[in-house]
Amino acid sequence: MTTIATIADVTLRALLGRRRTILLLLLAGLPVLVGLLARLGGGRLDAAPILDALIVRLVLPLTALVFGTAALGSELDDGTAVYILLKPIRRWQIVIAKVGVAGLLSGALAVGSTLLTGVLAGGVGGTSLGTTFGVAVATGLAAFAYTALFVAASAITGRALVFGLIYVLVWEGALAGILEATKIVSIREATLGLASALAPKSSGIPTGLDPSQAVLLLGLILGGALFVASVRLAGYEVRGTE
Amino acid sequence: MTTAAPPKPISLEHVSRWYGNVVAVNDISLSLGAGVTGLLGPNGAGKSTLLHMMAGLLRPSAGRLLVLGAPPWQAPAIYRHVGLVPEREAVHGFLTGREFIEMNARLQDLTDAPAATARALATVDLLDAADRPVGTYSKGMRQRAKVAAALVHDPPVLLLDEPFNGMDPRQRLHMISLLRRMAAEGRTILFSSHILEEVERLADAILVVYAGRLAASGNFREIRRLMTDRPHTFLVRSSDDRALAARLVEHAAVFGIDLGGGRLSVSSSDFGAFTRILPVVARDASISLYEMLPTDDSLESVFAYLVRR
Repeated sequence: MTTIATIADVTLRALLGRRRTILLLLLAGLPVLVGLLARLGGGRLDAAPILDALIVRLVLPLTALVFGTAALGSELDDGTAVYILLKPIRRWQIVIAKVGVAGLLSGALAVGSTLLTGVLAGGVGGTSLGTTFGVAVATGLAAFAYTALFVAASAITGRALVFGLIYVLVWEGALAGILEATKIVSIREATLGLASALAPKSSGIPTGLDPSQAVLLLGLILGGALFVASVRLAGYEVRGTE
Repeated sequence: MTTAAPPKPISLEHVSRWYGNVVAVNDISLSLGAGVTGLLGPNGAGKSTLLHMMAGLLRPSAGRLLVLGAPPWQAPAIYRHVGLVPEREAVHGFLTGREFIEMNARLQDLTDAPAATARALATVDLLDAADRPVGTYSKGMRQRAKVAAALVHDPPVLLLDEPFNGMDPRQRLHMISLLRRMAAEGRTILFSSHILEEVERLADAILVVYAGRLAASGNFREIRRLMTDRPHTFLVRSSDDRALAARLVEHAAVFGIDLGGGRLSVSSSDFGAFTRILPVVARDASISLYEMLPTDDSLESVFAYLVRR
């Protein structure tokens, strides 16, 4: 088993703690429940607004926040990180493993929730399936950018969760409606840009960033966060020394 | 032709570490060779800071620190030759003991990680509980799992931060014999403790730190003598304090008498001699002794004295 696989294995088992998993499954189940209610109500909803409001704006950033900050931050906080740090391994290997696992988990939840919600709410006819597919691919990719950002925040500060909440709620939420410029560095806008490009033209998904800008932004955030986290971890000083 | 002595496995030259305005380690110079060295000091003295700097987990603010000839800060390659048992109890509780040690072995890139794991588990006497989650271990078992994780790659330098915390007497004895055995194989072992007796039972050499400074270093017996022979002050209660004071003042071991506040306070430069002459003097003067209380016998005051010396 390689170094990255060893760290990924331990990280995966740490992240799949019972309480955290149940909580996030409930969160990811919320849009599915809305889709199910729509289906049971006999009506056929437009999937795009539900996917936008509940998946892109809620499930994706929050699951990525929880997994991203827990993947590295929890170990740094409780001291178990020393068992990985005190090894002759490159710091980027640790960061890749953490981001990989956290991204896969939050991506799996967001994509799974997207597919179920989209099919339940919008069915498989018309543009619905294409819309669902577009959002699923975009959220799956964006999950890695979000988790990389939050893993990097954990390597920088012990208050990564607060940073993440401010980023998601204030920067991408409140400020996005007031300051247009914030959209240029918004993972949410990149997700929407990518989703609307992948979905059929009349999908109803907000256009967000231009697709090429969206890919560039996600790539920059992912690469930049991996770099910053690796550098920070290389110069990491243990917390809580007397 | 003369050959230079090989460098010591651990050496510090004027090493300091501060956090903002707080100085945690203050201008410490020392070198450690093979064998067991005890790092003794009260809580907050700077022991963990020193160990963390040696393990590359903290950057020295000033000075030069070398482990096996290289600065450990930002040098992960050093961890092939160094093991650290941290003081913090947290381990990956969801892993079994075997999985936890094997994770450490794999991250050390050992060719046969399962075999190294089995050896480490046997060394710390944890084979029977190896397949239980570490989260279900007692404090002492967890401590042994941490030691196994630190020595799974057979490092020549082993640093242990308060390794006896939470261990019962049997586990302590086992750990002491294990560390002695490892030291006899030529390893450099440094362990911290705030308990004098632990250090006394295990260490060949001792470093005493207090308030971030190196208060004393060297052979344990010599430092023990310094600690015992320092000036002591006793409060004495008897049937006739004034008469007893008059008799005591004639003795060379006594250099100060104070009868203020209705209490007899005696300062002595020789702990052993004073405790021997006091009952004799009292008996010869037909004075009954009710109480003799050392007023400054806490480890804290011992450390403070060593720093002032």
